[in-house]
Amino acid sequence: MKCLVVDDEPLARQRLVRLLEASEEWDVCGEAGNGEQTLQEVQKLRPDLVLLDIRMPGMDGLEAARHLAQLEDPPAVVFTTAYGDHALEAFETQAVDYLLKPIHPERLQQALEKARRLSQTQLQELQQANVGGSRTHLCARNRGNLELIPITEIVYLQADNKYVTVCSRTLQILIEESLKSLEEEFTDCFLRIHRNALVAVAAIRGLEKDAEGRCCVVLDGIEERLEVSRRLLPEVRKRIKTGVV
Amino acid sequence: MNPGNSTIRKPNRQETLFLPGFCDIGIVFAVVLIAELLAIVLVLANSHNDPWSELGLTSLFVQWIALSSAAVLCLARPMLMRVSNTAAALTSYLLLLLTTAVVSELAYQLAGLQTQSGGVGHAGFLFRNLGMSAIISALVLRYLYVQHQWRQKIQAEAQARVQALQARIRPHFLFNSMNSIASLTRSDPVRAEQAVQDLADLFRISLHDAAERVTLEDELDVAQGYLRMEALRLGDRLQVEWDIERLPRKRLIPSLILQPLLENAVYHGIEPLPQGGLISISGSAEGRRITITISNPRAPDSAGKRQGNQIALENIRLRLQLAFGEQAGVALRDAGDRFETTLYFPREKMQ
Repeated sequence: MKCLVVDDEPLARQRLVRLLEASEEWDVCGEAGNGEQTLQEVQKLRPDLVLLDIRMPGMDGLEAARHLAQLEDPPAVVFTTAYGDHALEAFETQAVDYLLKPIHPERLQQALEKARRLSQTQLQELQQANVGGSRTHLCARNRGNLELIPITEIVYLQADNKYVTVCSRTLQILIEESLKSLEEEFTDCFLRIHRNALVAVAAIRGLEKDAEGRCCVVLDGIEERLEVSRRLLPEVRKRIKTGVV
Repeated sequence: MNPGNSTIRKPNRQETLFLPGFCDIGIVFAVVLIAELLAIVLVLANSHNDPWSELGLTSLFVQWIALSSAAVLCLARPMLMRVSNTAAALTSYLLLLLTTAVVSELAYQLAGLQTQSGGVGHAGFLFRNLGMSAIISALVLRYLYVQHQWRQKIQAEAQARVQALQARIRPHFLFNSMNSIASLTRSDPVRAEQAVQDLADLFRISLHDAAERVTLEDELDVAQGYLRMEALRLGDRLQVEWDIERLPRKRLIPSLILQPLLENAVYHGIEPLPQGGLISISGSAEGRRITITISNPRAPDSAGKRQGNQIALENIRLRLQLAFGEQAGVALRDAGDRFETTLYFPREKMQ
């Protein structure tokens, strides 16, 4: 069985690798130092288990786990943490396995035995326990692979049936999430301009009227104009005026 | 972009103004008490035929001045809170003299004191009162100022001690360091040994009294030990550059003024960056001033994810100023992609 070791500290990885050497069942197939690398390595190496540190620079462990759970055949996840404050409480209620560093070999053995996959609900509830804050990336499934889109590059999000189109300057991709939950998660960076659309506040360049007299937002780096609904227009005007743009 | 890192919280003037609130009932009572004692002293100093009626009259007059002064200071408080302590002291002194002059004049005109002023005349009466007021106001203000300084000093040192403990025992740092040591005991026992020593030094100094003075050399040693611990954890991600040859090693400074700043630099500047970065520490002793500058990369989203440690910064500033006066402090500079924190204090012996 293959295991991926993830921690941003090289010595912490070194120790885990050494502890795993003692196990006959498990082989370390690779290492990663942050969330983005973890997703790449998992798709490349297809491990059965990921030992995942929670606090890492860039994308942290909780967010990486959340993206991993979208894979068709996701690996089992055991979190590791030096000290978790709120995170530990969330784990206790969620019965997700976690190991405290420095990790005891016996405790690791136990965790390996009961290693199992995280359910999407468990992950969502972990997220809601507000341990990781909002995500730094959105994740789309593209022919069985995961594609990450950094939140900072997204220009707008548009709902269409059960999908949401994520649009950046360079690509458009569909994700299976609701516009409402995205709006709640990213209140600070996205602004609702229409029943079906959120735009990145940082990308708004102004408002203009189209040929039919409807008010539209002008977005940075994108030709397309998005309509602002009459009901939301005052709010949009206010956000533009208060200098958030 | 990065308000958490670049702005410092101004300390609340409520806490830094040396004058107590004169509208406070306890303070008003103290004022009345002191005024009454003064009246008794005044009566005792002169021999009178009828000391009791003299005391009544003097008390009335002194209380009148004292309570008017308290009222004036109470009303002026919002204005005094906006200016520096020196300006506040000067203004309140002048206000006290003015109040005395006005009350004396009123008493002279209204109460027909002409006959009772012992024949010194109008001007003599005013001058005598102003003279007494000048001396007593100065004494009281000075007392309040010294008491305030002393209280601030005690508070800052107690706070520093608690913070030092909390900072060094920042749980992530502690457990991750332990984890690094656990890893090293097998792979590199020599470095493991060094790490245990560094960790012990850090804990020892954080248990010290924050009022204690250490040499710059010792403070630098602790700082270097701390960064060695962090380098162990962070590996290649932490690069450190020291340029401290020009610093006078034996200069005495308050302990733990450098290490917390380095900790901030690692926490805000290195940890959030996947590729890490460089922390540089440079010191100089030019003219009459010693400066130590710590420069770290600015992480793009450190403001959002990580809370700044403004209280530690404010505490270091306060302790430097208590030790060296106004010529010492901490300056912050946002240099685009890097962030600089500079400590400065005079080169001469400490006060």
